[in-house]
Formats: sequence, C-alpha cells, structure tokens
Amino acid sequence: MTRMSITGKDGALQPHPSPPMNDTETFWGLLKKFRVPIMMVSPAAIFTVIMILFPILYSAYLSLVKWTPGSEDAPFVGLANYIRMFQDPTFWLALGITLKLFLVCLFFETIIGIYLGILLSREVPGQKIFQALILLPSIIASVAIGMMWILIYDPTLGVANYFLKSFGLKQLVWLADPDMVLAAIAIIDIWEWSPFMALIITGGMRALPTDPFEAAVIDGASRWQIFKYVTLPLLRPVIMVAILLRSVDLIRFFDTIYIMTKGGPNDASTTLNVYSYLQGFSYMDMSYGSAIMLFLLALVMLFSLIISALRRKAVS
Amino acid sequence: MRKKDYILTYLQYFILILLFIGPVLWMILSSLKSNLDITAYPPILFFQPTFNNYTELFKIYPFAKYIINSFIIAGGSTLLGLILGVPAAYAIARYRLHSIAFFTLISRMAPGVLFLIPWYLIASKLEITGNNFLDYIMLILTHAVITLPLIIWLMISYFEEIPIDLEESALIDGCGRWRIFFQIALPLSLPGIAVSVILSFIFSWNYFLFALTLANNSTMPLTVIAFNFIGEGATNWGGLMAAATIISLPALLLTLFAQRLLIKGLTAGAVKG
Repeated sequence: MTRMSITGKDGALQPHPSPPMNDTETFWGLLKKFRVPIMMVSPAAIFTVIMILFPILYSAYLSLVKWTPGSEDAPFVGLANYIRMFQDPTFWLALGITLKLFLVCLFFETIIGIYLGILLSREVPGQKIFQALILLPSIIASVAIGMMWILIYDPTLGVANYFLKSFGLKQLVWLADPDMVLAAIAIIDIWEWSPFMALIITGGMRALPTDPFEAAVIDGASRWQIFKYVTLPLLRPVIMVAILLRSVDLIRFFDTIYIMTKGGPNDASTTLNVYSYLQGFSYMDMSYGSAIMLFLLALVMLFSLIISALRRKAVS
Repeated sequence: MRKKDYILTYLQYFILILLFIGPVLWMILSSLKSNLDITAYPPILFFQPTFNNYTELFKIYPFAKYIINSFIIAGGSTLLGLILGVPAAYAIARYRLHSIAFFTLISRMAPGVLFLIPWYLIASKLEITGNNFLDYIMLILTHAVITLPLIIWLMISYFEEIPIDLEESALIDGCGRWRIFFQIALPLSLPGIAVSVILSFIFSWNYFLFALTLANNSTMPLTVIAFNFIGEGATNWGGLMAAATIISLPALLLTLFAQRLLIKGLTAGAVKG
C-alpha cells in the first residue's frame, strides 16, 4: 500500500488528502477547498482591517481636508497640509531631532548590543539569570522608566548629579537644559534597549556553525582577529535584524520623551511623533497631525526597506 | 574556559548588573523611603524602610480601582488576541500563508497616533468615553492591536515546531481540521500559549498612549494615572516611586520567576516579528 501523501513539496499541509477534488479550478471550489484556513484567518484579518487599515485610510483622508473637532464641514484642501508641513520650521526641527536621536541611539545600542550579545553567548553558570536580569529595562513600562529617571536626573537630589560631583565634574540640569535634554533621553534609551539588541544577537550566535571558529583557533588567530574576521561577518545578518527592529521603534520615538519632557524645553526634544501628537491632541489640529503622521509612516517604511535591502546583501 | 576567563566574565556581569538594574533598584528603594530620606543629599543607601508611600497611594487615590482597570484592559486584550490570533497563527503556519502574517505587522510599523486620531473621533462621536462599559470595550479593542501581532508571530513559531506527522495520521483517520486543531495542535502548543499570554499581558499592561486619550476617570489604567502624577509636578517623590514600582510589578515578577520563558518568548517574538 502506498502511503497517501498529504504534505506538499515544501512540507506544507495540503487542504485535503489525495485524491484531489476536481472542483478546485473554480473560485468557489478554491473557497471550499481552503474553507478551514480561511475561517481561521478571517477574524484576525477583519480585526486588522477595521482597527488598523481603516484608521490609516481615514487619517489619509483627514490629511487632505481642513478639519478641526467641532467644525461642521471639512473642505478639501488638497496637499495644503503637506505644503504647510514643509514650510513649518518646527517640523524641520522635529525631523532633525528624530534623525539625531535615531543615529546616536542606534549607534550605541548596536555596539553595546554586540558586546553584550557576545558576553551572553559564553556558557557559564548563571548566564540565563544574568540575561533575564539585564532585560528588565526593556520590559518595564515606559511610564515607570520615565518616573525613575526623572528622580535620577533631578538637579538637586538626583543620583546623576551626585556622581558627576563625586568625579569633580560640573553638575547639570539635564532635562531642563535644551542642550542636554537629547543626551539625557538618549542615555535612557540606550540603557533600556541595548539588552534587547543583545538578546537577538545572542540568539543568532547560538545558531552559528562552530567550524569556522575551530579553524581560526587552529590557525592561531588572536581573539580580536577571530572577532573581526569570523564572528562579526557571520553575525552580520542577525545584527541587521536587530537594527531593523530597533530602527522601526527609534524613528517613532515617543514614549520616554512625552512622559518626561512633553517635547520641551523649547521644543528641544520634540520628535516628529511627539510633534504630531501635540498637533493632533493639544492644538486639536487633527488634519495637520495626520499629515505629519503619514509622513512619519512613509519614513519608517523607507528605512525598513533600506535596512531589509542591506540585510539581503549581508546574507548573500 | 580557563579560570581567568570565568573571573573576567563574572566581573563584567557584576558591573553590568549595577548599570542595568541599578536604576530599577533605586526606584524600589526610594519607594520605601520616608519623605525625609528621599530628599536627603547626598543620596543615602541605608535607611529605615517604610510602606507609608504605598498606603498613602491607596488612601488618597482609588488606586485599587486603577490596578483593576489595568487588569481588565491587559487581560481582556490578551484574551481577545488569543481568540483571534491562535487559529490564525495555526492556519498561517500549516498552510504557509506568511504573507498574511506580514499584513498584521503594519501595526508595528505605523505610529500609534495614526490609529488614535480616527479612534478618538469615533469614540467622541458615539460618546463612548462617557459610558464605562463601552469605554472598557474600546480600550480592550485598541490594546488588542498591540497583542494580536505579538501572539500571531509567537504562535507561528510554536506551531512550526510541532511535528506534522501526528496531524497527518489524524487526517487520514478522517479527523476534521477543526478537531485536529483543538485536540492535537492546541494541547501541544500550550507552552507557546503560556509565553504568549505572559508577554502580551505585560506589553498591554505597559502601553499607555491609547488609554491616555481614550480612558475616562473611572476606566483609567495605572499607566495613565501615573502619567498624570508626573504632570502635577513631582513633589511627592515617595508616592511617585511607589506608583512606578507597582506598575513595574508584572515585569519584575516575570524576570524573577520565569527567566527561560522570558528569553525564549522575546527571542521568538523579536526575530520573527
């Protein structure tokens, strides 16, 4: 007896055991054939369309009209909101702040993430506990993170200034200083998310083949040489995944800033996401807020495409 | 490894723990300080601990109410995410429908305010925020936008790990698809469901942007009331730190008691998602 094959070439489960039904050619036949998977996926798909896709389209509509809550009509204004955006100095300021934070945080998080990732891949007793402990900043609510760092940065009783003073350095006002606030926020983000980068990189380290490392040791390579010529090139794809995930969040930088400074002092920490929230919900200019948001979404997608392309290049 | 390597590794562990856990410990310590100790300069490490900050919170504010609200919203959105996400993840894993899974990732790419503006408009048009029951439903639905993609991606990786043979023979025996899903796949994927429940509960518990604009005074979760505390001007540091500690409790418990689960879940969720 020949065993009936119900898995296809790629191992996917076929909708029905062979012999195949002959009504699969028509649309209704296909629908019947895939009845169960369609039923399984539909609720989640419908939810996503209603809760996510529809709101995005509605925001796109809002960005093309002039409307504020309470007004009766919403006249079509074409691209006026977008033109206003490109003429708005605060928009350019916010774009610059977004990119500055993006670059600084991503740079340090990647370097610290690689260092931590390699440290974590050493099999020593207690490694798992250590890994879970340093992940704590990534899984604590951003509101709590903001609160604890407000205390740490407090100019008069904060620990940050206490350390500066003990090292004989000038004390700072941190969040209240327009020149310092971005650095203060970046420190928190690096502290919060480097361990998360490390988690992904360690996962990638575990999956690496051991042969290249053994060969390098036999050839008498130094640790630095092994890191530079073996570990790093092999890790490049997984590092790109970590960078992609972090980038998507960093371009939308919002939580910590809105909690700690609301974009201040003097807009010095207003990222695009914070600016659009302020436009939409503080100034109630939802049309303009939507326009900035859609620009931000386009920016996120552009960055993901670039990084995905770089990743494909790294894999091949 | 040589002995020197062990010592070096643990030395780095020690310094890194101080750096990464230090601020969290400082928050917990400060929440146990009296007002006098918390404003002491230079900052002090040793003091007479007190729970006054916590009891004050519950005395002055309906703090238990906020905790219950957080549970309702995080629990409800986790449950909804499971109901919608687990069957979807199963179908995606078994029928190789990964393009559909990417569709749910829009919510991880798009800034939250983009959905929030239309949601807010609908909520105010239908006067949802005035009605507590409807407001809870609204908050649960919006938070499911956070939990659903997380659960789908986690569960896909768990379903893909389950060997397909068992399901094949059940299919030959004439078992229906739904029965296979409920009686074979689901019981085998229980560890994955446990990870999904815990992580999506925490992510939903932590999220504050949607509730910030959509919640009213009696449906407000912990994160929003804590955010309002900050806005009122930080004079009561002890109370502020006690509130922050209570918000962090789910994360702290997970780190202390379920390390392996946390690492496995976050890795699967991150690399896949």
